[in-house]
Amino acid sequence: MRRYAGAAIAIIFFAFSIGIFMQLASYNDYEGSNYYYKNPVNGSLANESVPSHYIKETKNETGAINAVTAIVVEYRGFDTLGEVTVLFTSATGVSFLLYHVYKKLKKREANLILKEGSKLVLPFALLTGAYIFIHGHLTPGGGFPGGSVIASGFLLMMLAYPEFFVREKSLSYSESMAGSIFVIIGLLGLLFATSFLQNFIPIGKPGYLLSADIIPLIYIAIGFKVGSELSSIVQKLKEVEK
Amino acid sequence: MNYALVTPCYIAVAALLSIGLYGVVSKRNLMKIFISLSIMETGVNLLLITIGYVPEGTAPIENANFTKYVDPLPQALVLTAIVIGLSVTALAIAMLISYYEKKGSLEYKGGMKW
Amino acid sequence: MVVHPVLLIAIPLIAAFIIPLAKKYGFAIAAGAMAFNMGYAIGMFSYIYSHGKIYEMIAGFKPPVGIFLAVDALSAMLALLINLFAFINFIAIGKEWNYKFSMLYLLAIAGSTGIVLTGDIFNMFIFFEITAVASYALIAGKKDEKAIEGAIKYMVLGSIASIFILMGIALIYSQLKTLNIYDIAARISSMDEKIKWASFALLLTGIGVEAEIFPLNGWVPAAYQGASSGVASLLSFGPSKAAIYAIARIMMVIFPFHATYEIALYVGVVTLVIGELAAFMQEDVKRMLAYSSIGQMGLILIAFSLASQNIQNALIAAFFLIISHASAKSSLFLLSRSPSMGGAACKYTGIVGVLSIIGMPPLAGFWGKWYLMLAAINEKLWLVIMLVFFAGIVEAGYFARYLHKSMGNESKLNLRYKVAMVVMVSFTILLGLLPIAYKMASLPLWGW
Repeated sequence: MRRYAGAAIAIIFFAFSIGIFMQLASYNDYEGSNYYYKNPVNGSLANESVPSHYIKETKNETGAINAVTAIVVEYRGFDTLGEVTVLFTSATGVSFLLYHVYKKLKKREANLILKEGSKLVLPFALLTGAYIFIHGHLTPGGGFPGGSVIASGFLLMMLAYPEFFVREKSLSYSESMAGSIFVIIGLLGLLFATSFLQNFIPIGKPGYLLSADIIPLIYIAIGFKVGSELSSIVQKLKEVEK
Repeated sequence: MNYALVTPCYIAVAALLSIGLYGVVSKRNLMKIFISLSIMETGVNLLLITIGYVPEGTAPIENANFTKYVDPLPQALVLTAIVIGLSVTALAIAMLISYYEKKGSLEYKGGMKW
Repeated sequence: MVVHPVLLIAIPLIAAFIIPLAKKYGFAIAAGAMAFNMGYAIGMFSYIYSHGKIYEMIAGFKPPVGIFLAVDALSAMLALLINLFAFINFIAIGKEWNYKFSMLYLLAIAGSTGIVLTGDIFNMFIFFEITAVASYALIAGKKDEKAIEGAIKYMVLGSIASIFILMGIALIYSQLKTLNIYDIAARISSMDEKIKWASFALLLTGIGVEAEIFPLNGWVPAAYQGASSGVASLLSFGPSKAAIYAIARIMMVIFPFHATYEIALYVGVVTLVIGELAAFMQEDVKRMLAYSSIGQMGLILIAFSLASQNIQNALIAAFFLIISHASAKSSLFLLSRSPSMGGAACKYTGIVGVLSIIGMPPLAGFWGKWYLMLAAINEKLWLVIMLVFFAGIVEAGYFARYLHKSMGNESKLNLRYKVAMVVMVSFTILLGLLPIAYKMASLPLWGW
């Protein structure tokens, strides 16, 4: 019964979405004049669309050459703060829920290749993660992928050595410090410039490591935060494993 | 306009969304329900990426060899959406662990009363 | 003096980030942040009251390119309401839990405040997620079977909701290449008809789950019943109110068409009637209060949906219904912690709260229903008026039964709870007696 209901709903939804997407298929550009935006504060019509503003002005306004990074950290940096907060909320929630269920770990020996291999891989994983989040404004990547790579290094170690774990305290310290630094950078923007998360240091020369104003700073904070949060989630979930 | 690339993507989006919806409605195992939700999330992310695609565009990283770039904004949104989906999944797993501790199974017995 | 609404979001966030560094002082830090927020929200409201709407750019980019916060009188009032009640409620319940609870509580409040303040649709989605994830964890925090079941139900529906919201945003973006609510509103006419309505349906469905609207509120009774009473109280003044405001903002700004108002009116009426009837049939107190909340959300939605013709009356009605419901329901949820409600404080809370929800003069709930009637009479919606009266009678019925059943033994609530609920429920009297309702009639509530 349930299965038929599910199939019916799924088919209806499939038809609905195909119907919409057929309309969508012809809208794949962003430079046309019908996309020119209107400033809601003073009502003036611009002669560019939002995405083409990003493509054209990113280099001048933020000093980053990777437009996605510039959007994530600068133009829509507030979203990223929220996103980091969602992850933080989830990590807090996981430890809040699994507070009481500590189980003795059953020690499972991993095989030799996994053990020795993960020892070898760990430093490189950490290094790659750090590289990815430091170079976020120049290459694809950034704080989130970098943090995930770091966490995956720790996950590998946890798989190889059942008794391995990162100190809870250092994880939560790096998590809180990184998060606070993000907000503090934002507040400094409010203090030294005019608005929250606004850039307040020189832009630098686009294309070099030391450029793109606050993007590298924020991405380093995000990298640490995501890395430690994901590691702590994985560790919490591993601790209750029977 | 190059439909050849975009159309399969839209069909895939619709398929992913409806497969996920089917799973959510018809399965009773909570783990499967959350897996179905992840599938739906993937569908929406693919939708965003497809919307941002511009024929013959490259990744929006400034480069002298290219003039046409894809829309960077949906990519930033997808980055955000992925992290959100991940966080919800992590919390869901924690919740399923406690559910399992209480009930001894992941089957959901009660109906979804409105 | 320059007001920065962003601080209402940034300060709770930084407080939540700092708490793990000073676990012992978790309660104090959280309470301090909320006290700051409360004070700042009062300041912001008085500034807007005298200077009119404000906006704040984030990261210094002009709005459609960057994000901006758009605050008018109504959203400032809602931010004030959420932060004020959050502070009172947190003082009452915060000490029972560990520091992680304080963090989650702060995050839920920051998220709800963000939903109310933001002027960017994707940003609103992010704040929905913060609020929702924090609420899942808070509901499950009681850790018994019912709590976890309720949280999982909420989680499944909430995840589908977030997928729908995101899809609606994607559809709008595909046509207009912008995410700013007011920019979308200015150019909505250039959108394809089909896609416009599809995105409206998706957004309404998605946000409707959080706002407890009729076919989508499967999680409400289970979650409210499972959650501890303090958390149920938080849910009834925080996330749900922010969500209903978000529906109003999206409906009135982006889709200000005749048909959308009509849809909202129908949905609201159905929600009202079904919620109240379901509440009438419940035995469990918390479940009854939860269904009653659903009915009240329907009433608020009706108020917003009448705003197309006579915006001022409708918005005043919505605001008074929101404040009456928030204060009365959150104190009744605190009260429901102990099965009996003997003792002066508890009796007072129970009776005043119930009277305000039913809509007895001179309480805030009465003004809400009064202005709702005025707006409805203007549009000659006699059936709606009759149904609202009918819902009021049903409410009176089950609340009378509730009061009758639970009067009696001395209640075992501690002093904190009693103080908190008396203070919260007093707002209905305060706002009902002060001539604020008349004052507000001249205030431009809806600016942005």
